[in-house]
Amino acid sequence: MPRNLMLALAALSLSTGIHAEVLTDADEVIARADLAAYYGGTDGRSEVRMIITDAQDRQQRRQFTVLRRDVEDAGDQQFLVVFSQPSDVRNTVFLVDKHIDRDDDRWLYLPGLDLVKRISAGDKRTSFVGAHYFYEDVSGRRPSDDSHEFVETTDAFYVLRHTPIDPQSVEFTSYITWIDRNTFLPMKIEYTNPAGNVYRRVEVFGVENVDGHPTVTTSRVSDLLTGGRTDMQFRYIQYDVGLPESVFTERSLRNPPREWLQRPEN
Amino acid sequence: MKPWPLLLLLPITLLAQNDPWDDEDWGDDDEAAAWAGFIEAGLGTRLHSDPLLDERNTLEEVRWRIESEWQPGAATVSFKADAAYDGIEAGWDAEIRDLTAAFTLAEDYDIKLGRQVQTWGTGDLLFLNDLFPKDFVSFFAGRDDEYLKAAGNAIRVTRFSEMISVDFAWTPVFEPDVYLTGERYSFFSPLAGENIAPRPPLTAVEPDEKPANGEFALRLFRTFESREIALYAYRGFFKQPTALTANLEPTFAPLTAIGASLRQPLGPGLLNVEGSYYRSRDDRDGSDPFVPNDQLRMLAGYEWEARPNFTVGLQYYLEWTGDHSRLIDNSPSPEFEPDEFRHLLTNRLTYRAGRDKHTLSLFTFFSPSDSDFYLRPSYSYRHSDEWSLTAGGNLFGGSDAHTFFSQLQDASNLYLRVRYHY
Repeated sequence: MPRNLMLALAALSLSTGIHAEVLTDADEVIARADLAAYYGGTDGRSEVRMIITDAQDRQQRRQFTVLRRDVEDAGDQQFLVVFSQPSDVRNTVFLVDKHIDRDDDRWLYLPGLDLVKRISAGDKRTSFVGAHYFYEDVSGRRPSDDSHEFVETTDAFYVLRHTPIDPQSVEFTSYITWIDRNTFLPMKIEYTNPAGNVYRRVEVFGVENVDGHPTVTTSRVSDLLTGGRTDMQFRYIQYDVGLPESVFTERSLRNPPREWLQRPEN
Repeated sequence: MKPWPLLLLLPITLLAQNDPWDDEDWGDDDEAAAWAGFIEAGLGTRLHSDPLLDERNTLEEVRWRIESEWQPGAATVSFKADAAYDGIEAGWDAEIRDLTAAFTLAEDYDIKLGRQVQTWGTGDLLFLNDLFPKDFVSFFAGRDDEYLKAAGNAIRVTRFSEMISVDFAWTPVFEPDVYLTGERYSFFSPLAGENIAPRPPLTAVEPDEKPANGEFALRLFRTFESREIALYAYRGFFKQPTALTANLEPTFAPLTAIGASLRQPLGPGLLNVEGSYYRSRDDRDGSDPFVPNDQLRMLAGYEWEARPNFTVGLQYYLEWTGDHSRLIDNSPSPEFEPDEFRHLLTNRLTYRAGRDKHTLSLFTFFSPSDSDFYLRPSYSYRHSDEWSLTAGGNLFGGSDAHTFFSQLQDASNLYLRVRYHY
């Protein structure tokens, strides 16, 4: 598959950070951005904490560990999210089988009832555990769900506008992404609603190089209509830890894989 | 003694818990002996009193949950218990919901020993192949949904494999459902022909404690692409005291069940189909009126997000009683026996707003064959990571006194619970 080969090469060049040429194909830029943001290494783990601040400045927090495994670069992926804070969601586990050619499969384990609950496909642009992040933000929106066009190319960014193929399935009419020309990480995203206003903004504040992969360590989603926001921090990030496929099954919902959730020594 | 002394604990935990987000505080990794839980006050009261009961309330309690987890070596030990002052039973009550040791043997076998809550099957508040104990008394009173599942002492062994995974649960001593005793609610007695609230409260005769009277539950399961398929088998007893002994005392009839389920995406939502055949071992030909007949139970459900944050779930459920004419011919009170076909429709509507801060829910059970219903409206408000509130109702009705939901008409209640998590 020449396209996959191209993407694999793109991923290689990402790690070495050599990008002299200026890209002019919007689809290629978004494909590389998707790889940079969601497909670093063949797998990865990170601890995440979120501070959710509402319009009245009241704060809530969530803390969890994410494990990710790529079935194929730019292709299917698996995610396991295990919560540790706060106490009412502790040991809640979220499992995603992300598919490129069909809807993702998603399960939520509720430990109080020992219940493995499956989540229907439509239910994805809704709040992820009370945050301003959506379920879809956890595993990433498929590039093929939108059409992409250049707005401009600046010294630092490729600026792209994305329009949903199926406008009925989302709450925005379009969004604009500022993609770092060196790392291909999306550094800012602004969503426009049907009234024509920018109502939602995602910003990246911190990027670190982890095992050769430029990696977001601090980001924020702001709800510009209500004034609320969610700040997200990533720590204890590792790539290529060798996660087996068997970690991403019902087994891990009831019995989170301690071996892989353990914080690395560094 | 009244429950309020427990509330004195609140300010203590409030002080202890007020930790701002220290930038470098990512918590302990090994999570050794981190204690957590909640304190909850709940009050539920009947819409109108039950003439058979003095107590107007269905819920009147202060509950203290405490839980923790340790990881000695490769095992995980978990503990979760409730202490509650119950104003209706006028006494303290303590219950362990989880006290287990979990470990892995030979890589593929997960073992969990001890007191635990277990759930399987695809139904939403309808259980066919899930014959683990349930607590309907809590469920009807307005306690959290979590309490619908009662804990049982069991050994659970799960073997995971790519071909087919096997789940086996052995409950050495039969764990019945928490059934209606007449203490909190009156219930219909076919012998009396009306609702009763016996004093002392009804106690059913449980099977003798011997190895053969344990419960054995088996599940074989596999996910093909997005399709989850499972087969089930159970050997034990009916979980409700629906049989009578020779002395006309309520008891639990021997039961063997086999079943299957399927869950998969369909269009924008999820489809679930489940069936189970209940074989009443002591009444193979259905002629014994004091032992339940065989039954075929079938379920089909569909759930989808109809609009953003608004989810709709529909289920159709059927109980088909075998040898029905023989049951009627032999019954001393044929008019109170179940219909050959009991149909049940359920509907769950859930609306979440303000990033899940507010959850509005309505669960409806409606049986066209029994002409009865059960409505469960609720509103939950999550004020903060510590404080939450739930208000709701359990509303029963029907045209015949003896049907399942109809007998609970006088138990219809509204409740309010306030919870503090620490």
